Amino acid sequence: MTTLEETRTGQDQSVEQTIQQLRALYADAPEMARVALEHALPALKSQALDAQAPTESAGRIGIRLGSVSELTVIAPFAPGGAQRLRAILRLLNGNFSGGQKVGTLHDMRFVFLDNDTKFLFATAYDGAWDPYIDDFATKIPDEMDIIFSAFEGWPGIHSPDVKDWIVKHQIPAEGWYVAHPDLTVAESGRLKRVGKTVEEFLDKVGN
Amino acid sequence: MATQTQVATEPTNAAVVEQKLQKLRELYADAPEVGKAALQNGLPMLTKELAAPSAAQTAGRIGARQGKVSELTVFLPFVKGGAKRLRGFLQLLEGNFRAADAVGTVHDMRFVFVDNDTKLLFATAYDGDFDPYIADFAAKIPNAMDLWLCNFEGYPGMRNPSAAADWIASHQIAAEAWYVNSPNLTATETRRLEGVGTAVDQLLDKIG
Repeated sequence: MTTLEETRTGQDQSVEQTIQQLRALYADAPEMARVALEHALPALKSQALDAQAPTESAGRIGIRLGSVSELTVIAPFAPGGAQRLRAILRLLNGNFSGGQKVGTLHDMRFVFLDNDTKFLFATAYDGAWDPYIDDFATKIPDEMDIIFSAFEGWPGIHSPDVKDWIVKHQIPAEGWYVAHPDLTVAESGRLKRVGKTVEEFLDKVGN
Repeated sequence: MATQTQVATEPTNAAVVEQKLQKLRELYADAPEVGKAALQNGLPMLTKELAAPSAAQTAGRIGARQGKVSELTVFLPFVKGGAKRLRGFLQLLEGNFRAADAVGTVHDMRFVFVDNDTKLLFATAYDGDFDPYIADFAAKIPNAMDLWLCNFEGYPGMRNPSAAADWIASHQIAAEAWYVNSPNLTATETRRLEGVGTAVDQLLDKIG
């Protein structure tokens, strides 16, 4: 059995190695970066020793930290697609009730790129890739098709090819940070209710 | 409470929604079949969404905000060797961005290498407006910022916060649409609620 002492020593050594690798990586960096690295090393070292669980795979594609995963897609617009999508997004004015309906969606953004020839879709969601996509197909298929039919080759959310289309255009992130990795959308909903109930309770006690 | 104003504005609102729906039908007249069918099937929910008051706001200088949470999306051009350095740096960090914890207004952030490692897509969700957000980074974690941003063309350094903010804004592309599940929940409020949740669980355990 490994003792705590041994684990600690092993960890120290691997952190020392990591720091050596970082120094090597930054050896040919601009002066500003080398200075920043030297300044940052003490903090980086303690953070490495105190590390939480690292990012993992979100399943088929993408990465996950704790319960929260990332999905980032860049795809070309179909002819007329940019115009249609922009109009529908403006009409909706940020009211995506479909997002609430899915119940695992933390945030999402639609960004138009390269003179409206491409778009970027980036979202943070709970759990693994396949169940997430399945959820969209089950809960808000029409919303999905209204929006994603703006893109080249979108086969339709009910098509057996839809997952391949997404995977083809998804670019997995190489770094992913979530402030509250254990907080699912459902749990944050529960905490909001708990917070409100406690306030009401304290109000009653105060009266 | 149903006020008279509400009653009076309802028909107008319905007319506006009808106008918007009409515009959508026109727009989707030449959409692919799957889009046209979806529009038809999705009309009941769309009608509700179109009738709701606007939820979109701006994050100040640039970017979209919903409630208290804003988005920042930039494409940054790598300097020579920058992609290799940043990739190595991210792999060594393994998702432990304690510096972001220290700032306290970051919800999430992603680093995506695009166009054959010539550019990085950086996308984040954060609390409040653009300028105070960047100023906060410059004040709290200038080293951590220089470490990763030094890998891009033209980065002026965080010791020059206003130039750094201008540089970021110049590479930013504002999202056309931005959705947040809990728009009024800041990162700080989330931490507080997690504390309340734990305290309540402990209290209930003691009572039980």
